[in-house]
Amino acid sequence: MVLENKSTCDVLPFSDTGAKKVDGCWHKKSFDKAVVLIIDALRYDFTVPVKPTVDVGSDPLFYNNIPVLYETAVNTPENAFLLPFIADPPTTTLQRLKGLTTGTLPTFVDAGSNFAGTAIDEDNIVAQLRAAGKTLVQLGDNTWQSLFPDYFDANLTRPYDSFNVWDLHTVDNGVTEHLLPLLHPANSTKWDVVFGHYLGVDHAGHRYGPNHPAMAAKLQQMDRLIRDVIAKLDDKTLLVVMGDHGMDAKGDHGGESDDEVNAALWMYSKKGVFGRTSADTVKPPAQASDRFVPQVDLVPTLSLLLGIPIPFNNLGSPIEEAFVGPNGNNWKNLVTVNRLASAQIKRYQEEYAKVRGAEDGNSLQSIELWDAAENDWQNIPWVGKSNPSTLRPVYDAYKQYQRKTLQVCRGLWANFDGWSMAQGIAVLFAAIVLLVFYARGLRTEQTELTNALLAAVGPGAGLGATAGALAGLLGVVAGSLVEVSVLLAATGSILSASWTMFSVPKQIKLPLPKTLWGWLAVIFTVAQSVGFASNSYTIWEDEILLFFLSTFGVLAGVSSMRQKLTADRVLGVYHSVLFVILGRVAAMSRLCREEQMPFCRSTYYSSATSSTSAPWQLVIPLILALVLPTVVKSFYAGSKSYEGAAPLWIGSAFRLGLFLVAVFWILEGADDGEWLPLSKETLKSSRVFLAQVVLALAFAAGTTAFIYSKPCINISVSQGNNEPETKAKPSSFSSMGRTTVTILGFGNVYGTRYFLLVVNFCLGIILMQKPMGQGAMGLLLWQILSLLEILDTNALVTSNSAIGPIVLGVLGSFYYFKTGHQATLSSIQWESAFIPLSSVQYPWSPILVILNTFGPQILTAIAVPLTVLWKRPLQLSDEATSTSKANNPAIRILSDTIQAASTYILYFATINLATTMWAGHLRRHLMLYRIFNPRFMMGAAVLAVVDIVLILFSVAGVRWSIVSVGDIFGW
Amino acid sequence: MSNNNGNSGPPPAPKSQPPVRILPTKVARIYSLAHPAAVLLGFAVRFPNLVHDPISEMLNAIPFLAASQVVFTIICLPPAGGSLEAAGSGSSSSTSSGFSSGSSNIILRPGRPARRKGGSGGSGAAGAGVGGGFMGGLGGKVIPSILSLILTALLATPVFAILLVLFGAPFTTHHAQTALCAAHMALLTAVPLVYVHGVDGTVWKEVWGASRPADAVWGAALGTCVGAWLGAVPIPLDWDRPWQAWPITILTGAYLGFATGTLLGRSRWLFGKRLRFTDEADTVENKKTE
Repeated sequence: MVLENKSTCDVLPFSDTGAKKVDGCWHKKSFDKAVVLIIDALRYDFTVPVKPTVDVGSDPLFYNNIPVLYETAVNTPENAFLLPFIADPPTTTLQRLKGLTTGTLPTFVDAGSNFAGTAIDEDNIVAQLRAAGKTLVQLGDNTWQSLFPDYFDANLTRPYDSFNVWDLHTVDNGVTEHLLPLLHPANSTKWDVVFGHYLGVDHAGHRYGPNHPAMAAKLQQMDRLIRDVIAKLDDKTLLVVMGDHGMDAKGDHGGESDDEVNAALWMYSKKGVFGRTSADTVKPPAQASDRFVPQVDLVPTLSLLLGIPIPFNNLGSPIEEAFVGPNGNNWKNLVTVNRLASAQIKRYQEEYAKVRGAEDGNSLQSIELWDAAENDWQNIPWVGKSNPSTLRPVYDAYKQYQRKTLQVCRGLWANFDGWSMAQGIAVLFAAIVLLVFYARGLRTEQTELTNALLAAVGPGAGLGATAGALAGLLGVVAGSLVEVSVLLAATGSILSASWTMFSVPKQIKLPLPKTLWGWLAVIFTVAQSVGFASNSYTIWEDEILLFFLSTFGVLAGVSSMRQKLTADRVLGVYHSVLFVILGRVAAMSRLCREEQMPFCRSTYYSSATSSTSAPWQLVIPLILALVLPTVVKSFYAGSKSYEGAAPLWIGSAFRLGLFLVAVFWILEGADDGEWLPLSKETLKSSRVFLAQVVLALAFAAGTTAFIYSKPCINISVSQGNNEPETKAKPSSFSSMGRTTVTILGFGNVYGTRYFLLVVNFCLGIILMQKPMGQGAMGLLLWQILSLLEILDTNALVTSNSAIGPIVLGVLGSFYYFKTGHQATLSSIQWESAFIPLSSVQYPWSPILVILNTFGPQILTAIAVPLTVLWKRPLQLSDEATSTSKANNPAIRILSDTIQAASTYILYFATINLATTMWAGHLRRHLMLYRIFNPRFMMGAAVLAVVDIVLILFSVAGVRWSIVSVGDIFGW
Repeated sequence: MSNNNGNSGPPPAPKSQPPVRILPTKVARIYSLAHPAAVLLGFAVRFPNLVHDPISEMLNAIPFLAASQVVFTIICLPPAGGSLEAAGSGSSSSTSSGFSSGSSNIILRPGRPARRKGGSGGSGAAGAGVGGGFMGGLGGKVIPSILSLILTALLATPVFAILLVLFGAPFTTHHAQTALCAAHMALLTAVPLVYVHGVDGTVWKEVWGASRPADAVWGAALGTCVGAWLGAVPIPLDWDRPWQAWPITILTGAYLGFATGTLLGRSRWLFGKRLRFTDEADTVENKKTE
């Protein structure tokens, strides 16, 4: 809820107009000027020389590398203080800047807009400073420019691009280069407040993790910088250094864990105005959990120190150390500033209640505290010197009111729109019911319904949208125009689709599974969905997925033992064993989330406190280049399909691509470890070039080749031999007596042709992963092939069993975790956007991050059609001479593909529905933002990505495959 | 080349051993009911110790469990030796008739008159016959017992340990716990199976294919596995209970499954029935054939 009101100097926040003005504004200013330095991701424990409680052998590398803050606070407490500075999640920079400048709490949904900030409308400290006629300078992170357009002095301001997390130094050196000259006495009249935003610590965290020499070097650089600034500082200037958030054990942030919210705040002035109220608080606290201040406290503190009004929306409190005076006994000042802050909060509260309507009884409780504090204030005997025994209770009373209001607002602003949530869940649920019948409950071909469905859904959605728009315009229903029309469009399309499907009862059957496999598919999906209601099962999702995959593999082995043909039995058991072992090997790649500790050990990076790969992990890409094409070849060779385009594609192009990926990551490792006598720029540009070549190979050349490629078969015609050749085992049939046509690769003509697309995507996705994730993706490709063989030997390809697509879905989810991700915001590997690009470019950068994040789900989505194509017997046109359209093999294949794709979507849609429902149901749960909400957001994102990939690539890919096969076999 | 077997007509006629019946003596009948209850009771009594110190408790319990399983098999189950003798002559002619008799395929193999009589009512004569063979059969029972223990230790335990790891048991730590849990599961499943069936290839193929007809022995084996599978469910929960430690819940599930499986497998409703993976009718009646 944004209130547009602004505070002004002329209007004091008190309702009683009798209060006298001080120094032209609310409170007497302590400083004329200020230098505010934000060291992005400056975690509190970086700044205090207190060893971590957990003994890790040696000191972590981030330890005690920026001692200047602690030293000054201990040695000259009247000049400086250092406190833990707790961020409100989401701990992303844009949201933090909003909080740090407005003094209000963020709403969670904002996290998605981290890339595209829009100007702040609320009253904020930058606008207040500007209104007070100050000249503002901003240096560093360009996020400020989008939040505060036109507030900064155009000549002195130097914004820098903020998203290139692989670049540790450009921003920092730029800020320092422009900051230090400003501090020169000759320039002192040119500016009033400088906001400098350093990004090196944050980027070092993202790229290397906190426990890395690069982090130590970065912190030491910051230490020197602060000492330089101190040396040049004059008496009238306040120096503030703070982190906007912390970082987790491997250097990422975004979430709600302690390490992510624990930042540091340090204020310094040569004047000696700071103080402590008691001897216990002289030293900065050892732990961030002691005596912390919330980040909203910065706004009132800075406003009152600089003599400007407190911004209207502020919910913070003035920081005690800044106002109690060097002797620690200026209680009068403390009470005065707290009365001001409290009055402002009360004024805001009243305005808020006016706008919202007096619906919340909660706010009344804190009003009582205000009344009590005001009462105390009135009863202070104002004679004589300030007396701690009478003033302290008043200060405490105001403070209590402020904190209570903050707490109430925290609860209040997690404001849930139950009606919208119910609508969303209803739409999701109805869509899933429809999908269940479409995927598993049709007696006819899916393709036969296409025209009818499209004809119904189009007008249905259009009608709904129009009705919604009209209703919104005429004001019949509450809610925004867009929301109502989208809701009605969804309802309209679902209703019309249901009508199309259910109006002919004979084409519908009850979609109950009839085989163990069908039940298994249901159990996997439903059990996981139910499990998301528990935070434990959400936290341990990776282990549960392994459990399911092993269950499938073991049952597949058991089922294979029942097969009648020895070949089926042996192959089936072999691939089942392989499937289970590959899954277990992949499970060794782990990136633990905080909640899994201490029962989990991260192996994805070189250590748990790092985000770089260990040197030995660089061997993985090389092994992949050697082994993975051979593995694929062996599966092709099994049906004699390593023919046609396959050797060139798999044996050469795929291997070359994988080799380039390996070179890329070796260059990357060389850059990190400085092994090669090449400059960073050379390494970077050659790296980026290599990555672009790989992407071009995988997607540009690969897709073109995929469209025009012939099937992976070899047809030879031999004369003069009456006997069908026994050598050509897959299939050989003779015609015309004398001519023998031998077709190698006949048994798997659809599957091997389509699989080339999977190879393309696999290469592209492998490029986007860290070395450990590349190994996981290699195992995934192998496991997919193994799964296809299992499906074939157990006759699950021809029966269109649901288990194939569902196990692919489980595989996709499982490998999401094995490629270094978790269902948390901080596990997004943003830096992957810079693998093939050196700067942020839309729309490519988001697509690259999606390829990195949801790579496994994308690859399994691409592989879905194979569950009905792999070793599918070829139907020749003369076998399908009947007039019925449904007997056209191409239409049948397309129909089967659609069924498989719908089943696959069903898995992710069910999980999406479940996580949405649970997040809605548990909206007051303590773990909502830590566990349920991220999982819900991930579920929705995965569903969207999977939908798009299936529609754009999988179904289209099947179409090209069929056409190519049809060209040869003539139908 | 392999997927054209979906529509092949008649079901195969594997040379299958019929489901195992409990020996028709009074002692056997009573003890066969008492044994699963006693095993479960013993487990329940020792449960606090198990939670307190899983490794030593599991280790200490192994001799007792092994002994009680051997006693159970000797008292209640027909040893493998008998079946091996009869296998060559009887099985081929008899089982086909057994299968042709339809769904109630509770057919006893000829060539083993004592058991057939036992099955047909347990008359006095049958009891006498078994009783007469008891002393002579003791030798015939010792060898299968020893065999079952050896195979349990050497084959079944490693197999279960590998399976536990594949399902997500820790790979680098907790080796003792995993091995001991596997040993317990092996004792519960493999001892009766080996005792009754020896190393009969067809039977073991059925075991690996989970296609044995239900009886006390197969029920116990399957029940143990399913129980252990379900036992994994409470592990991730954040209840911080000491019994959530690896592998206590797995073991508990296995014991519960063992008792349930033993009783259900020989029950009237399930005895002789086989687990079906696919509905034979369904694979033919899928939508493509319409």
